[in-house]
Amino acid sequence: MNDANVYAVKSLTKKEYLAPGHRSCLGCGEVLAVRLVHKALGRNTITASATGCMEIVSSPFPLTSWEIPWIHVAFENAAAVAGGIEAALKVLERKGKIAPKDIHVVAMAGDGGTADIGLQALSGAMERGHKFLYVCYDNEAYMNTGVQRSSATPFGAHTTTSPAGEIVPGQITWKKNMPEIAVAHNIPYVATASPSYPLDLVNKIKKGAEAEGPAYVHILSVCPTGWGVGSEETIKIGRLAVQTGFFPLYEVENGRYRITVDCEELEPLERYLQPQRRFRHLTKEMIDFIRQRVLEQWEELKRRAGQTDPVAG
Amino acid sequence: MVNLTIDGKKYQAEEGQNVLEVALENGIEIPHLCYHENLSPYGGCRLCLVEVTRNGRAFLTTSCTYPCLDGIIVKTDTPEVLRARRLVLELLMPLAPEAPQLQALARQMEIEEPRFKTDEEADDCIRCGLCVRACTELVGAQAITFSGRGYRKTVEPPFGEEALDCIGCGTCVFLCPTGCIQMVDKSAERTIARWQRTLPLKACSSCGRYYIPFAQIEFARQKSREAPAEDWFDLCPDCR
Repeated sequence: MNDANVYAVKSLTKKEYLAPGHRSCLGCGEVLAVRLVHKALGRNTITASATGCMEIVSSPFPLTSWEIPWIHVAFENAAAVAGGIEAALKVLERKGKIAPKDIHVVAMAGDGGTADIGLQALSGAMERGHKFLYVCYDNEAYMNTGVQRSSATPFGAHTTTSPAGEIVPGQITWKKNMPEIAVAHNIPYVATASPSYPLDLVNKIKKGAEAEGPAYVHILSVCPTGWGVGSEETIKIGRLAVQTGFFPLYEVENGRYRITVDCEELEPLERYLQPQRRFRHLTKEMIDFIRQRVLEQWEELKRRAGQTDPVAG
Repeated sequence: MVNLTIDGKKYQAEEGQNVLEVALENGIEIPHLCYHENLSPYGGCRLCLVEVTRNGRAFLTTSCTYPCLDGIIVKTDTPEVLRARRLVLELLMPLAPEAPQLQALARQMEIEEPRFKTDEEADDCIRCGLCVRACTELVGAQAITFSGRGYRKTVEPPFGEEALDCIGCGTCVFLCPTGCIQMVDKSAERTIARWQRTLPLKACSSCGRYYIPFAQIEFARQKSREAPAEDWFDLCPDCR
């Protein structure tokens, strides 16, 4: 779906499930993603949220931004709680206490709550096959506590716990590939999305919510504060992440890969890295090093998309 | 404000709201394919049938087109309603056998094999009219319309030829519940095969990315009250 479409977005619902007035930073890409996700899911939704930026900004005591049932749980167990909610709904339905109804159960967490701390709860819930949607809002570090590295921080990024200096060039490990970990659980639906491509994101959330089993959607959320970009640049940086192949948008439906936003030619990686303060120390050699990895992964993704489904390739 | 009863519970609704709107707002699920909250109601798919009792008389009607009136009693899950809805879905299914949304509804209603078959090849269109209404009401291009009647009814560009008014915005592609309209971008060209339309795309003068069809620029210029600057569309939104 084209990103410059100004007409199709008019068809999104006018109802807001995340009320304005929350305390996110200027230009927050994550809160934009949350808003779009809940617009796509609609009213019949129960959300379990791990600790993280979105919990902090949307529910400062005694206020809340949520217009749907929303529960804040500990850092590590958002997926377990969502699984529990789903099981409880099933039991209530079986006992006839509530009418059978399509209620979306959603777990949301940041990259820390997904890739680091909540990984085993998520893995367990996916393995047990609860019918729930897990949304990871990935801003590539622990942002609300002051930009500490997580395992989803990309190689070379400067954070306060992976500071760039003369010897160590920022983060020295590669970003953990969470969508592939989810794919490895053989769940019906896995996708990556970005709020810079709102219609694509809405489509994927709807698909994930309707999947017969666990669904996992990984959303790259640009964080102007932690990444060191201007708050007006959020959408642009998100789009560049996709167009440079740094964060390709694809979906895996029952094991079949499909690239949803195809780039015939990738943009030069510098266009994505250079505007960001967290990458400003990178030398040309290091950018080439990262580029090599990005291209490898892009080719691998294209191969998978082509091999399993020749039409979409 | 009007008072009405849905499934035994009392609700209040604004004057002019439809029954389906109020039901959805209050978390009562009624299956629907042709209703969209930002478009005028059409009553095309017939899936949202409910039983309405007004002045002591009960009848089946589409909830998306029935206004909330004072004192009406709506039932969404009587055996009659469910049977009628099931029939409607069985009639829709041969039109678009592959559509995931219809298949999901069929699973819900426990239809294993649709009873009916068509002689003609399915074109995956269920005539819900979302594309037609979106093109008219949301976009304003009016490039496509219904033609024919009864079982011959189809959505088509005028005279079944290339949709000359289509600006290639893709709103119909996004809204189609069966996914029967496809849009393909290939370097400098965008194709919507169903409307037999191929549009040249404009490239951004800074980054070189093809980002908007020329027809859409022309359309935006005509529609905007104050003409945008001559070079406004030279740059894509990212480079502006």
